[in-house]
Amino acid sequence: MNTTDAGGAAARVVDAVKVYGSGDTEVRALDGVTVDFPAGRFTAIMGPSGSGKSTLMHCAAGLDTLTSGSAAIGGTELGTLDDRRLTVLRRDRVGFVFQAFNLLPTLTVAENITLPLDLAGVRGDAEWIDALVDVIGLRDRLHHRPSELSGGQQQRVAVARAFAGRPDVVFADEPTGNLDSRSGAEVLGLLGRAVRQTARTVVMVTHDPVAAAHADEVVFLADGRLVDRMQDPTAERVLDRMKALDGALDGALDSAPDGAPDSALDGPRDASEIPDHHAQGAPS
Amino acid sequence: MSSASATARISLSSLRAHKRRFAGTFSAVLLGVSFLTGTLVMGDTLRASFDSMFAGATSGTDAVVRSADTITTPGEAQGVRGPVDAGLATRIAQAPGVAAAAANIQGSGQLVGADGEPIGGQGPPTLAGNWIEDTRLNPYRLAEGRAPERSGEVVVNRGAAATGDLKIGDSTVLRTPDPVRVTVVGLATFGGADGMSQSTFTGMTRADAEKYLTPTPGEAASILVRAEPGTEQRDLVDALTPVLPKGVEAITGEAAAAENTEMISGQFLDLFTTFLLVFSGVALLVATFSIHNTFAIVVAQRTRENALLRALGAARRQVVGAALAEAAAVAVVASTAGLLGGIGVAAGLQALFPALGFPFPEGELVISGLSLGLPLLVGTVVCLGSALLPAVRAGRTAPLAALRETAVDQSGASRSRTVTGLALAVTAVATTLAGVLLTPSIWLAATGAVLALAAFVVLGPVASTAVLRVLARPLGRLRGVTGALAGRNALRSPKRTAATASALMIGVAVVALFTVFGASLKATMDQTVDRSFAGDVAISAPSFGAGGSGLSPALAGRVAELPEVESAVGLGRGVAEVDGTGRQLTVTDPVALAKGLDLGDVRGDLAALGADGLALSTAEAEARGLALGDRTELAFTDGSQATFTVRALYEQPELAGNYVLTREAWAPHRGQDSDTVVAVTFKDGVAVDSGKAAVEKTAAAYGNPEVQTRDAYAQSSAGGIDMMLTLVYALLALAVLIALLGIANTLTLAVHERTRELGLLRAVGQTRAQLRAMVRWESVLVAAFGTAGGLALGGFLGWVLVQASQGSGDTDFAFAVPPVQLAVVALVGLAAGAFAGWRPARRAARLDVLRAIATE
Repeated sequence: MNTTDAGGAAARVVDAVKVYGSGDTEVRALDGVTVDFPAGRFTAIMGPSGSGKSTLMHCAAGLDTLTSGSAAIGGTELGTLDDRRLTVLRRDRVGFVFQAFNLLPTLTVAENITLPLDLAGVRGDAEWIDALVDVIGLRDRLHHRPSELSGGQQQRVAVARAFAGRPDVVFADEPTGNLDSRSGAEVLGLLGRAVRQTARTVVMVTHDPVAAAHADEVVFLADGRLVDRMQDPTAERVLDRMKALDGALDGALDSAPDGAPDSALDGPRDASEIPDHHAQGAPS
Repeated sequence: MSSASATARISLSSLRAHKRRFAGTFSAVLLGVSFLTGTLVMGDTLRASFDSMFAGATSGTDAVVRSADTITTPGEAQGVRGPVDAGLATRIAQAPGVAAAAANIQGSGQLVGADGEPIGGQGPPTLAGNWIEDTRLNPYRLAEGRAPERSGEVVVNRGAAATGDLKIGDSTVLRTPDPVRVTVVGLATFGGADGMSQSTFTGMTRADAEKYLTPTPGEAASILVRAEPGTEQRDLVDALTPVLPKGVEAITGEAAAAENTEMISGQFLDLFTTFLLVFSGVALLVATFSIHNTFAIVVAQRTRENALLRALGAARRQVVGAALAEAAAVAVVASTAGLLGGIGVAAGLQALFPALGFPFPEGELVISGLSLGLPLLVGTVVCLGSALLPAVRAGRTAPLAALRETAVDQSGASRSRTVTGLALAVTAVATTLAGVLLTPSIWLAATGAVLALAAFVVLGPVASTAVLRVLARPLGRLRGVTGALAGRNALRSPKRTAATASALMIGVAVVALFTVFGASLKATMDQTVDRSFAGDVAISAPSFGAGGSGLSPALAGRVAELPEVESAVGLGRGVAEVDGTGRQLTVTDPVALAKGLDLGDVRGDLAALGADGLALSTAEAEARGLALGDRTELAFTDGSQATFTVRALYEQPELAGNYVLTREAWAPHRGQDSDTVVAVTFKDGVAVDSGKAAVEKTAAAYGNPEVQTRDAYAQSSAGGIDMMLTLVYALLALAVLIALLGIANTLTLAVHERTRELGLLRAVGQTRAQLRAMVRWESVLVAAFGTAGGLALGGFLGWVLVQASQGSGDTDFAFAVPPVQLAVVALVGLAAGAFAGWRPARRAARLDVLRAIATE
C-alpha cells in the first residue's frame, strides 16, 4: 500500500496542463508543470493568488483531472482511473486536510478520525491511531462533536484523520488559513513531526511564508508554471522570493493590454481564495 | 419603488431562483386540487346525466299511482312499498284528463348469460317487469327486435344482453328466483342509455309477469298514467286522487323521476362522491404537512438572506409579506394547474368508465362554479396556511443572524412540546375510551381520534429522536459508516424529520385503519358463521336488495329430499313495522332452522309458532320488554296489521335475525317469494365433497346458485370487503404519493444544505454508490418512522372504529389485527421511502467534489 516508485516520489505530475473554459475565456491554470513530491518529505507549494497552486494540488490528489499531462500517486497513474477507482485511491492512499470544514458535524472526534477506514470497511491499525490521538492531544475529546472543539482542535483532528490510514501522501490545502498563529503553529508542528518521526509524506498549499518555513522544501508557482524550488526554507527567504514573484507579476500586469480579463489572474484556479460570486462561475 | 413592489420583486426573484425547492409544494397542491376538482366535476356530470336519463325515460309518464305504505328498516336506503291492485288501471283510464294508464308490475329477475353464469347481481338491482305496450308510458324503448307477445318471450336491456352475450333469438333462464325458460325477442334502451345505470331489466308479457313476479295475480307495483294533451301533471294528480282507494297515492311524473334520480344519487352517487371527497381531504391534509415542511426549511435556509434584508432596513412585515407572496404565487399557479388537471381527470374517467363496463352517460362535462371555486380556495388556503407559520418565523429573523454560520433549525423537542403532546395523548385516549366503552358515542370516539392524530403530530419530534435512535442502531451495524451517517443525518433535525414523516404517517394511518377494520369485519363474519351456522354447506344468492333475485323457495325442499341430506332449511326475508320501526323478518321453517343454524339456548317451542306466533331473539325481547306468551302487533306493507304471540326465544340472532316467522304466517303479506340462503346439513357419514356435489346437481336446475362449504360461505360474505379495501388503497395511493414527494423534497433541500459535507465525504473516499446509499437510507429511516407511527395510529383508530361499530349495532364485533397485511403495508412504506430517496441520492452523488468543498 505504501509503495513508492523507483524515483522515490510519493506523488508526481508530469507536463500538467489544466485549462478552464475555451476561446476568449480560456484560462490556463496549469501550463506544463512537472514536479515530484518525494516520499518522506514535507513539501510546500507557494505562489501568488491565481498562480495555480490549489489546482496543482487538486490534480495531484485526484480531486480534479488534468487537461493534458499525467499525475501519479505512489506509481499509480490517475488518468487511467474511473471515478470509483479514483475515490478508492483517495480513500486508501491519500489523506486530506482542508482549510475549513474538515469534519462531519454528525460524527464524534473518534469517528471523524477513522472515517476513511470506516468507509473502506477496514479496522485500521489500532496502535497507530491510538498514537495519533496522543500526538494531537485530544484523547479527552474523542467522544465530542466537532462543534464542541475550537478551530485549532478541529484542524488537529483533521490532521489525525489524514494520517489514520497511513496514506502514501497527505495533501493539505491552506490548513492554517483560518487559524490564529498559535493554533496554526501547532497544526504545522504536527504535520512536520509526522513527516520526520514517522516518515510520512506531506504536500501543503499555502500563501503564508511562516507556514511554508515548516516544510523541507518549497515549490514556487507563478502563472501556472513552476518557477523555483527552495530547500530548507526560512520565512524570510520565502517572503523575499514571493516579493520577487509578485513584482514580476505586477510587471506582467502593467504590460498587459487594457481590458485583459481579470479572470486571467484571479480566476477559478484557486477556488478557496476567491469570493463566492466568482466561485459560481467556476467551471466544474 | 414602493415597498409593496419591492416585496413582490424579492419574492418573485427568489421563486425564480429556487424553482426546484418548490417543485414538491407545487406537485402536492396540484395533485390535491386535481383530485378534489375531478371528484366534484365527475359527481356533477354523473348527476346531470342521470337526471337527463330519467327525465328522458319517463317523460311520457305524467303521474304514478302507488301504495302509500312503505316500510323502511334501519340501515336500508330504500323502503319496501306495498302493491296496488292492477285492476285500478282500468278505472284510472276512465278518469278525466287521462289518456292512458298501464299497470307496472315489477320484481326481481336475474338473467343467466350465454356462459351459464348469472348476469349482474353484484349490487345494482336485476329488475324484471311487464313490457308495457304503451310505448310512451314504457320507460324502456325497443331498440331492436320486437315486444314479447307470447309466454316465455322477453325484451332485455341492451347492456345486460351485451354483458351476458345474449342475442335476439337466444334462449336462456331467468331466475325469478324460480328458473323460467325465456327467449330473447327484443333489446331495449333506457333514456338513451343501454340500461338504467348498471341494473339489468327483463320485460315479459303481462301474464308472465303476474305469474312469476307477484305472489297473486292482479298486483302491480304502480300504475303509470299519461295525461291528455293540455292537462298539467299537477291537475292530473288532483283529478286522480278522489278516484283512488284508501292507502293509494298519486304523484306527478316529475316527482317520480326526481325520486328515482334521488334514489340513484342517494344510494350510489352521494356515497361515491362523499367517499372520494374524504380521500381528497386526506390527500390535502397530507399535502399540508409536506408544504409546511418545505416552507419551514426554505425559510431556515434563507435566514441569512432575510437577516441581510432586515439589516438593510426591511420591516418585519415586509419579510413576512415576501414569504407569503411567494407562497401565494405557488398556491395560485399550482391550484390553477390543479383545476385543469382535475377537469382532465374527469374527462379521462368519462372516457375510461365505459371501457370498464360502467355506463358513464355521454354528454358534456358539467363544470359548476363550485367545483372550480372550492378547489381553488382550498388549494390556496392549504398552501398559504401551511406557509403562514414559517413566514412569521422569517419575519422574526434577527438582523444579527446574517453573521451566524449555520442556518438550519436543529432544535430538538422542547419540554413544553412534550408536555402538550402527552396531555393531548392522554386526553385523546381518555375521550376515545369514554366514547367506545363507557357511554358509546360516535362523536366522542371521533373527537378522540382527531385528538390522537394531533397528539401524534405534536409528539412527532420527541418520538422521532427516540424511535430513530432505535431504528438507526441496527442500520449502523449492518451498513457500517454509511448506515451510521444516514442515521445521524435523520436525527439532525427532529422537527424536520417528524414533519416530513407526519405526512406519510397520516397516509399510512388511514391505510392501516381500513386494513384493521376490514380484517375485523371479516373476522366478525367468520365468527358469526362459526358460531351460528350448524350446517355443512350453504347455498346462497344475493337477494333482491343486494342486487340478486335470491333463491327459489322450492330449492330447500328439493335438497332436503336428497339421500345425503339430513335437513335443509331456506331463509327468506320479510319486513314489518313493529312499534313504528321497520324490522327485518326471517321467514322460514322454524324447526328445520334450529338444525341448520345454531340458535343457542332456545326457550319455548319453535314447532308451535303457527300462523299467529313468532320467535324472538332474547336481546330483542329484552329490549322490547316481551316475554314468552306476550303479544305484539306487526304492520305489513300491504297495509294490514296482525297480532302475534311470542312462542319461542333464542339466544343467537346473528344469522337468524331478531324476528322469525313461519312461511304460513308470512304468506298473506309476501311479495315475490325468495330465500337468501339455504343451510344444508348432511347425514352422518356423508363426506362434505360428495354431499356438496349432490346438492350442486340439484341446485343446477334452479339457476346454478353457488354451493359453499362453511369456510367458503364465511369468506364469500367478506368478498365485498376486499373490493372496498382495494378501492381504498387505490385512492390512498395519491396521499402516499404526496407524502413521498414531501420526503423527496426535504431530502433534496437537505442535500443542498449539506453540499460541503458531501464534498468532504467524497474527497476522503466515499464512493458515489456509498453516498447514494447514505441518502437513500436516510429516506428509508424517515419513511420507517412515518410508517411505524402510521401503523400505531391506524391500529388504534381501527380499534376505536370497531368498538364504535360494536356499540352502534347489535352484532358482536370481533377485533382483528391482520399481521400479514400490516407487514405488507410496512414493507411498502419502507420501499416507498427508498424510492423517494432515489432522486435526491442521485443528485447528491452527481455533486462535483471540488465545487462542493470550495463552495462558501
